[in-house]
Amino acid sequence: MNTLLLSHELLVLALGLLVLLADLWLPRGLRRHLGYAAAAGLAGILLFSFLAIRVAPGEVQYAFFEMYALDGLALFFKRFSLLAALMVLLMSVEFAESMPTGVSEYYALTLFALLGMLLASSANDFALLFVSLELITITFYVLASFHRSRMTSLEAGVKYLIIGALSTGFTVYGIALVYGLTGKLNFNELAAVSSSLGGNRLFLFGMVLILAGLGFKIAAVPFQIWAPDVYQGAPVPTTAFLAVGSKAAGFVLLLRVLFVAVPEVSFQWGSLLIVLSAITILYGNLCAIPQRNLKRLLGYSSIAHAGYLLLGIAALSRDGQSAVLYYLGGYLFTLLGAFTVLCLVMRQVESEDIASLAGLGQRSPLLAATLTLAMVSLAGLPPLAGFVGKFLLLKSVIAQAPAQPGYYGLAFVAIAGVVISLYYYFGVIRAIYWSRTAPDLSPIQPSAPIRAALYACIAGMFYLGLFPGTLVNLTEEVVKVLR
Amino acid sequence: MSVGLQHYLVVSAVLFSLGLLGVILRRNLLVIYMGLEMMLNAANLALVAFSRFTNNLDGQVFVFFVITVAAAEVAVGLALIVALYRRRQTVHAEDLTCMKL
Repeated sequence: MNTLLLSHELLVLALGLLVLLADLWLPRGLRRHLGYAAAAGLAGILLFSFLAIRVAPGEVQYAFFEMYALDGLALFFKRFSLLAALMVLLMSVEFAESMPTGVSEYYALTLFALLGMLLASSANDFALLFVSLELITITFYVLASFHRSRMTSLEAGVKYLIIGALSTGFTVYGIALVYGLTGKLNFNELAAVSSSLGGNRLFLFGMVLILAGLGFKIAAVPFQIWAPDVYQGAPVPTTAFLAVGSKAAGFVLLLRVLFVAVPEVSFQWGSLLIVLSAITILYGNLCAIPQRNLKRLLGYSSIAHAGYLLLGIAALSRDGQSAVLYYLGGYLFTLLGAFTVLCLVMRQVESEDIASLAGLGQRSPLLAATLTLAMVSLAGLPPLAGFVGKFLLLKSVIAQAPAQPGYYGLAFVAIAGVVISLYYYFGVIRAIYWSRTAPDLSPIQPSAPIRAALYACIAGMFYLGLFPGTLVNLTEEVVKVLR
Repeated sequence: MSVGLQHYLVVSAVLFSLGLLGVILRRNLLVIYMGLEMMLNAANLALVAFSRFTNNLDGQVFVFFVITVAAAEVAVGLALIVALYRRRQTVHAEDLTCMKL
């Protein structure tokens, strides 16, 4: 077996263990800076990945009896998660000041959650799907409740724990039913037999249970109930990682289960996916309107974005799948930029209310500009990444509409959702520049690595918005391994 | 009467439903957690029964993974619930109300 296939995972695991070990020997004052070392390590791994790992288009390399697949799709999501974790680590160094103890554990747990995401992007078997999903989820229980002294953080952890464990129960029972009817756990083997099982109620019930577990990860209705509370209560870097990494892991697993393991079944489920996507978009956008807490607002907006991403899956086409990947790429820069700003602002004002952004335009033009651009991109206005992503998703949905009129309705709901979202995203921008009362106008001076990360986020948003060609070509190439 | 696959599956479905009912109806976090564990074990029973009656060992191996992961989940979960109890002196779901709207 070729160990190079698992090199991302092995390197990240080694880095996580090194961070834990280094904590033993480093003096207390230096531990906070371990985050920079870990981020530098991830940058090295990312560089290694681009230089040394190559997969020919359409080619799939397997390890562990086809349990683990390395293909373009896996590689895309591995690099995506590595980049997300890198920025989250930089953010956590800023955040670490407010943490009483265990800063290095926080970094190490972030790396272990990343390990789960790397494994999830390659899962080609229900056993690996389950283990990687749980590695992510259990690590996030701890990360969400890391601020033990704050009641909100503990409460977020407990809520995530109960709902997460519930979804685990559903997933495992679903896997048991699918396994019982087919005798297979491997996606490739399942694909060979699933076409004959499309009418079997028990099989479909098992698949619905598995999708319920994945729906929890991406925060889609009706499994979205945890998202606002956990987003609000968890420490900011955790929330950012949850919103970007954990959601992307849910989507790659969803793509693999739907379009590798049971393609025939998912093609029957067009209308179910349409309904789920439409309700998720409406729920997220409508509930976000009255929110005053910024993190909670982003929690609801993340539900809405799960709905937009489901558009591409509901389209049941290559274009749709490739649009999902593109949208996630834009979402990474947008959301991490926004959360980095929140992390810096909230550290200073100890409040998460939208009003606490008052005067940010004068306190730090860079932070204000990043947050403004992120909100514009989340709302989906040109010329930023969010616009191109939404455009591709809608295009893929409308292309399917002549065959199934329901897609017109879905496209209409998505556009209505965008219009609703303009209201609350612009409420944030208004708070930054046009608040009457600004109690605190002391300047905020971001550290050099954070400034670099913010510039990278701005560049990413503009690049993906103005020059979509490169990434579109890549994502179209990558989804060829799916059906 | 010989015990067949159906019997195991019925027991497993009953256990799963009882666990789910416990999660939905009970208000004590520890009891909710017990219900969650019961759902996992219901799935394990189904997996082992399927595996035994189809002579395919994959299911039994998968059960080992589920047990291991469930143990990790319990370790983290109970620690969290204890931390919550220390802070609030309560483990009731109704008392988790510091985030609203």
